[in-house]
Amino acid sequence: MFGITISDLLYRRRQFLIAIFGAGLVFAMTFLLAGLTNGFAVEINQTVTGFHADVWVVKAGSAARVASLTPFSESEVAGVAATPGVTTATPVIVIPQTADRSGTLTQVNMIGAPVGSVPIRQPLTSGTQVSGSGQAVVDQRLGAPLGAEVSVGGHDFRVVGITSDRTMLGGIPNMYVPLANAQAAVFQGAPIISAVVVTGSPSTVPTGLSTFTNQQIEAGSLQQMATAVSSINNSKLFMWVIAAVIVASLVYVTALERTRDFAVLKALGASSGKLYLGLAFQAVLVALIAALIAVVLAQFMTGIFAQPVDYPTSAYISLPLSAIVVGLLASLIALRRAVGADPAKAFAG
Amino acid sequence: MGELEVRDLTVEFDSGGYRVRPLDNLSIDAEDGELVVLLGPSGCGKTTLLSCLSGLLKPTEGTIRFQGIEVEALSGSDLGAYRQKTVGVVFQAFNLLASLSARKNVMVPMTLAGVGHKEAVARADALLERVSLSERVTHRPGQMSGGQQQRVAIARALVHDPPLVVADEPTAHLDHIQVEGILVLLRELAAPGRMVIVSTHDDRITHIADRVIELSPQFSTVDAPPEDVDLAAGQVLFEQGDRGDLVYEVLEGSVEIFRQRSDGTEEVLASIGAGNYFGEIGPMLNLPRSASARAETATRLTGMNVRAFRQRFPATVKEARNPVA
Repeated sequence: MFGITISDLLYRRRQFLIAIFGAGLVFAMTFLLAGLTNGFAVEINQTVTGFHADVWVVKAGSAARVASLTPFSESEVAGVAATPGVTTATPVIVIPQTADRSGTLTQVNMIGAPVGSVPIRQPLTSGTQVSGSGQAVVDQRLGAPLGAEVSVGGHDFRVVGITSDRTMLGGIPNMYVPLANAQAAVFQGAPIISAVVVTGSPSTVPTGLSTFTNQQIEAGSLQQMATAVSSINNSKLFMWVIAAVIVASLVYVTALERTRDFAVLKALGASSGKLYLGLAFQAVLVALIAALIAVVLAQFMTGIFAQPVDYPTSAYISLPLSAIVVGLLASLIALRRAVGADPAKAFAG
Repeated sequence: MGELEVRDLTVEFDSGGYRVRPLDNLSIDAEDGELVVLLGPSGCGKTTLLSCLSGLLKPTEGTIRFQGIEVEALSGSDLGAYRQKTVGVVFQAFNLLASLSARKNVMVPMTLAGVGHKEAVARADALLERVSLSERVTHRPGQMSGGQQQRVAIARALVHDPPLVVADEPTAHLDHIQVEGILVLLRELAAPGRMVIVSTHDDRITHIADRVIELSPQFSTVDAPPEDVDLAAGQVLFEQGDRGDLVYEVLEGSVEIFRQRSDGTEEVLASIGAGNYFGEIGPMLNLPRSASARAETATRLTGMNVRAFRQRFPATVKEARNPVA
């Protein structure tokens, strides 16, 4: 029966190719959306990991969101550094700002840290690390070349280094500057920080402060994107339905065209079950080929979004599995045609 | 008892909301090795009979016995085995699968029966050679003539070497050269160990048949004089599906023409009054009555054969009837 099914598929290959291409485009979008939502988590992980922190010391009661930690006085750093178990304690500011490049306004995540400290030293694709006041290392998504002037809060910075994979909150580029410059730009020079990045294992923290792990900071930061992730997941679900409709339309039209074939096959000894299995096989095959095309297409579609797209390994597994489910569900539309075919109608002229 | 014995076979089904009875108490016999021709016009039940013989249609009443097998009583796997192994079917419109080559079309029954691929290919090639189509084994139906497609269909019917082959109007879509080839092939197939039953409306085929079975009755009233019939109110003259050879003129009273629906209700089509006629289509075209006739009041009719009817009413049968006011 599968041989007959394959022959029929090759005979109607034009119809099937159209459906495969259509379903493939839709699957590619779902794959892309999976990469998008995963990208949110990956970019937060890369930024947070870039601080090389063991523990984050924050103001007590602050939410674990790296870009919206409750500010507190820089004077607390000494107390944290003196805590037993602490190896290093580095004050940092992490705060969204608007950058002005020759009149073009762009959102950035301003990250301030002492010159030469670990949090300010990021892997570069070009240029040098920040070595003094008024300098900045920016993520390549800002689109600012080496030497470009970027103004934040009325303070000018010169781009001395370019980094990559340093974005947050949906592709917003990070901008690494000296701590004092960040305080001047955001807090009018007041000695205020967002957190103390600690290496080591502090046994306690001073009163009024609390700690978060990297995982807690990442999870809390990703929670900021929950609405966007939910919307994207709903869109993915809708696209699966569209893909199922495309495959189901093909299967239904094929079943309509093959009504006489079904009657003849039944007259020659085929059972309703075998006929339906043949249709289901066609539908699943169409969906799987579409899934394969989707994976290939998606690699070239990442540029559609400004946000980073990172395809998780699980998506490469869930896509074909979902395609099989889509194919099986789509084939149900033709079930009645297969089961209801009357072999006596094969005699009709 | 012959190899094939059909007794009192009746088939009735719903067609477009009306009850249709293409076969009504049919009884026929045939012997092993015969080429049997079922002759009759469209609608006389030839295809219905072949459907019953091939196990694809269950009759409403009656029995079919072939080689001792009660065909109408078969079900489940027994019926499947009968369809696969005992009877081979050649359909009117070839019914080849357009996506398959000639070889693969012939292989279909074997594939469905679980025969191994190599064995199926060898058998298909052998059968195609037997029907003189060795050079077309890889061609699809769209690349073959009607006669070639019909040969492939015959080869497919022979796959399991069945003792019964039924062919429904096998020459219907063919030119006269192709017809000759098919008829020669069918004649060769009918031999000891195999019965071939062919349905056709072309009486030229009867010249090669061992047995001809006419499904339309030959009426013996061709030259009989008109006869008067008296009906009481409510009395039925003839019923839908009956065979008849008389056309009726109402002399007194009125007759109601009605059809029975498949849900048991009646649909009145017309009321025929004095001076008007009814029931002409069946006798003229050799078809079963398409409706029933019943006296509305005490009624007197004259029943006449087709020739007398044409002399009495020279106008065409499309002339409108005048219903009773």
